[in-house]
Amino acid sequence: MSYLSTTDFADDPAFVDRFKRNMKGDLDLSWMKVERERPTCRPLNERRGLTFRDLDVQGYGFSEMPELIRGNRSFAPRGATMPEGLPDLQADVNRKSDVWAYNVEGYYEEAMTRQWNTTTDIPWADLDRAELPEEIGKAYAQLLTFLTEVEMIATDVPAKWMGRLNADFFEVKNFIATQAMDEARHAEVFRKRALTTGWGLMRASLHNEHNLKFLRDADSFAESSLTLHLQAEGMVLTLFRFSEYIAPTEADKKLFRLVMQDEARHVGYGMQHLKWVMDNAPDKREIIHRHLDEAENFVFGAGYATEVLEPFIILAGKGLKKENIEQGVRITNAFQLKQTEEYFERLAKCGLPERRERSRLWKFVELNRQAVANLAA
Amino acid sequence: MPVAFPSLEFFQVLQREVAAERERFSRLGFFDTTFGVRVIQDGESADFTLAFEVFDCVRVADGIDPGVDFLIEGPLQAWKGMLDNIHELGAADTEHSLNTLTHFGESLKVRYDDPDGHDKLYRFAESVQEWLDLSARVDFGYSDGTTPPAPRDVARRAAR
Repeated sequence: MSYLSTTDFADDPAFVDRFKRNMKGDLDLSWMKVERERPTCRPLNERRGLTFRDLDVQGYGFSEMPELIRGNRSFAPRGATMPEGLPDLQADVNRKSDVWAYNVEGYYEEAMTRQWNTTTDIPWADLDRAELPEEIGKAYAQLLTFLTEVEMIATDVPAKWMGRLNADFFEVKNFIATQAMDEARHAEVFRKRALTTGWGLMRASLHNEHNLKFLRDADSFAESSLTLHLQAEGMVLTLFRFSEYIAPTEADKKLFRLVMQDEARHVGYGMQHLKWVMDNAPDKREIIHRHLDEAENFVFGAGYATEVLEPFIILAGKGLKKENIEQGVRITNAFQLKQTEEYFERLAKCGLPERRERSRLWKFVELNRQAVANLAA
Repeated sequence: MPVAFPSLEFFQVLQREVAAERERFSRLGFFDTTFGVRVIQDGESADFTLAFEVFDCVRVADGIDPGVDFLIEGPLQAWKGMLDNIHELGAADTEHSLNTLTHFGESLKVRYDDPDGHDKLYRFAESVQEWLDLSARVDFGYSDGTTPPAPRDVARRAAR
């Protein structure tokens, strides 16, 4: 109990006197006399319902929010009047360009309507009919172990930042709350699927965990969002699509379609946030590049780690025979190229086209090409 | 009376099927994207635009609107492979989901100008797949004179 009240309310005469008068019916009503802007909010589209965008009016709205939030240091919801003496919460993030994204309110509404339930939306009973060969079952269980690890940290990171954002960033806080829920559901679904393969959870990944620690320990929300939403989730989105492609059963296909929906929404926020940064704080360009330099080093270590790469090769090639492995290497290489291309496409669209030239990831892509060429030879 | 694939009528019938399944699409969530479908046969292409908003398919039209989020393109043979499978089984099997068929562009290709638009195919992946799976209910024949296989009596997540 580190935070103590400066008032002992039970012994405070003014507080006790006011309480007694209230309970006798002598109401103060000062809160009712506060001058307020009266908003008129109606659904712009009745089929959609009342959205955050419909509340973007007067001082309640987000469009007119300043870049620096100097006025509110408390929990006061944006638009409320603030009496003297509210606590200073010392939010870490008080600059709009550090968190805001075009259409963040839309991503929140989409997230709320597209929630799903791991327990009831996956046809688990159908999996009883799917007997996987041992090497496929083990490779799939290893992939699911890796994904469970990834999704647990993806839950922790937005949750870590939620309470550290200024309360005026209401829509962003709500969006990352949905993200934390999404990622928790992903960790749940991958854990459940790993156990239902019959092989259980396999080996945790050393390199991957160092990458996850880097993600978790970002110095600022802006760095965290760049690496979590845009880089890591962008790459994981391509990975989920690849996983759907190689998934062994229809239930698994559905599972990956459902997780990819959530992941694509998070990537959408990440892209729109980086666009906002580039439009409103272009001086951060070099900081972003420097952070990506290290982030890409970590992601290469994690993505190409043995216990991550080999399951892909086995699943893509559908087995452990030489011809399966060769086919698996080719398909996995195509996936990694696609993953890298899509990453740079997104960065270019956000206003960082020069990243493609600066990045060392191409060296890894070249390693891939050579490996496949050697295979063909 | 069977409708033809590809044709505007085919997509209009699918549009009505989405309206008839409002509760199912509401459960899947907001579905806000406009995309194109291109079917190539004998060097000619049949183009359509599908617009989805909130939970509904709000517009189907001939041609590709400028500014679509993405375009799904492929030869009639590739579309037939997918639609035959859906018609026979009630929903796409593991080899015929849209993501599987488009992932490496071997069968169907996804074209786009804006990666954010491209990502909408994945943001709404399950809605798009269930929209396609509704074609299992449509009485249709192909423009090359063939017809999809008759439905098989199988227990699965049927769209019927």
